Amino acid sequence: MKLGVLSADRPLVWMLPLVAMLVAFTIIPLIYNIWLSFHEYAPFRRRLEYVGFENWRMLFSDSRMWEALGTTMFYFTVVLLVELVLGMAIALLLDAEEFGFGFLRSILTLTLVVPPAIVGMMYLLIEDAEFGVLTYVLEIFGILDKTTPILATGSLALWGVMLADIWQWTPFMVLIFLAGLRSLPSEPYEAAMLDGASAFMTFRRITLPLLSKVIAVATLIRGIDIFRMFDYVFVMTSGGPGTATYTLSLYSWQQTFSFIKWGYGATLSLFTLVIILVIANLFIALAKVRW
Amino acid sequence: MATVRFQGVGKSFGSIKVLKDLSLSITDGEFVVLLGASGCGKTTLLRMTAGLETISEGEIAIDGGVVNDVHPRDRNIAMVFQNYALYPTMKVRDNIGFGLEAAKKPPGEVKAKVEEAARILNITEFLDRKPAELSGGQRQRVAMGRAMVRDAKVFLFDEPLSNLDAKLRAHMRVEIRQLHNRLGATTIYVTHDQIEAMTMADKIVLMQDGSIVQVGTPDDLYDRPNCRFVAEFIGTPAINCLTGEIVWDGETTHFSGAGMKFLLTPEYKIHAGKSVTCGIRPNDVTQASGGPIHGKLLIVEKTGADLQFHLSSDDGSEFVAVAPRSTPGTAGDNMSFSVDPLKVHVFDQASGKRIDV
Repeated sequence: MKLGVLSADRPLVWMLPLVAMLVAFTIIPLIYNIWLSFHEYAPFRRRLEYVGFENWRMLFSDSRMWEALGTTMFYFTVVLLVELVLGMAIALLLDAEEFGFGFLRSILTLTLVVPPAIVGMMYLLIEDAEFGVLTYVLEIFGILDKTTPILATGSLALWGVMLADIWQWTPFMVLIFLAGLRSLPSEPYEAAMLDGASAFMTFRRITLPLLSKVIAVATLIRGIDIFRMFDYVFVMTSGGPGTATYTLSLYSWQQTFSFIKWGYGATLSLFTLVIILVIANLFIALAKVRW
Repeated sequence: MATVRFQGVGKSFGSIKVLKDLSLSITDGEFVVLLGASGCGKTTLLRMTAGLETISEGEIAIDGGVVNDVHPRDRNIAMVFQNYALYPTMKVRDNIGFGLEAAKKPPGEVKAKVEEAARILNITEFLDRKPAELSGGQRQRVAMGRAMVRDAKVFLFDEPLSNLDAKLRAHMRVEIRQLHNRLGATTIYVTHDQIEAMTMADKIVLMQDGSIVQVGTPDDLYDRPNCRFVAEFIGTPAINCLTGEIVWDGETTHFSGAGMKFLLTPEYKIHAGKSVTCGIRPNDVTQASGGPIHGKLLIVEKTGADLQFHLSSDDGSEFVAVAPRSTPGTAGDNMSFSVDPLKVHVFDQASGKRIDV
């Protein structure tokens, strides 16, 4: 049979659908976004007008942007660290052939199939000041009382949002780490046992270095995701109380769709993209991730 | 330095019994080789000694103390694994020193011991490399170095040479034996290679289907195999086994079978009429025209040092004879060999046990 243009030595034809999708959904929106960042919507004239670097100048002098960036960085650091440490700890616990562990490992995926907005709603209820179960438990232990509702208290709201993120995504870390742990060879562990190494020494000197690539990839994937976090704050706090839980994503959403500042919103999202690219590439270089 | 004692040791994986009521004593400083075909349980026995497998029955004692319930890290055992089991992310230096570090030895002492071991094993130049950057033989040395630096009571080797090429294997055999002579440590060495066992062991423990078949020095097993299995397992080329019966003609005792008839020592007279298997090692025959062992030459193999003649006797039984290079013979010739009656091993045909007189 003659394949003509579809023969294997004409790879471009085969790549075309993917390239077309990439162009339509990534490249064009990105270029449009860049173009948009040099324009702004003029509501009275009902059109986009060229403003030069005005949006970029505004970005760096916008105190709310810096506050949102600070909130995002804080959220990013805490959530990533907790998910990493907790994920590793649970993975180590579940990496055994005990009765029921197979079941436990399989239900781990459950939190991942729930849409984040729904998880946000769940935690909105869990942390509710009147009938939330978490508030109830914290009250019993005398840690909190009804006069300090978690999501409506400036110093607590972000922690309340973090809880939802950690609950939903720690199992993702567990699954990745478990897959890594289960693929490790058993011999070095047997050798370490005979060498007299303690469990902690074995973990620190053998498991961690062997898993470093897995940890790096998990950190990268989750890190990027956490930095862009939008759903939880949108559903749970809408950035409040005050501006306590405004992340960069939520702030750009607000500028774009509430204030109809399309140009400034585009500038904010581009800025977010640049920060993620810088952090991710720094990390890739430092952690020596290769694929 | 230590003694090791196995008393009624058994091991089951589920309903499958892989080791059955095994008893053995190893004296201080002895080099014992556990020899047997794949699946005979030798590695399982070694891993039970190390504590990497639980003991289903019986007890294992090191230096008199039963270790059944002692954690591997507290047994003071050093082991060289078949696949070396090096720590892949550590440099050779850290691989060797890991055990000392675990024992919280001061860094200076660790460094000195690691360098001393590296010097003995000739791997000093590789100390700062990772295992992946080493050849099989070098990895093998690192694994040995790791065992060496610890003042372990017992050294265990699990088929350590099976991944090396023939030349390196021969070389490492000598090195391991030299290492043992230098350290004088009690050593248990597992292999399926009878040449390794013969060349290295003070004592060979030959195993079959989870049981010990014979324990003895390499010479014991070669010269006085207690059953046909041992006779066939030890020695290359393999021993010739001829089936027939013992005949006493009123004056001399003979073996008669496989189309041949040759003399046995007179003491076998009392077994006249018994169905037996006679084992004759290929190296124990000499070419002699008109000799009692004869057949048609099928093929001649040259090993360099000598020739191996593969014969087919009148009834079709095969027979291998080793002879000097100068021995003439081409395929199709009829050849004859003689054998010293003292070199003939006689086994009961039904049980396979050696018949001693």
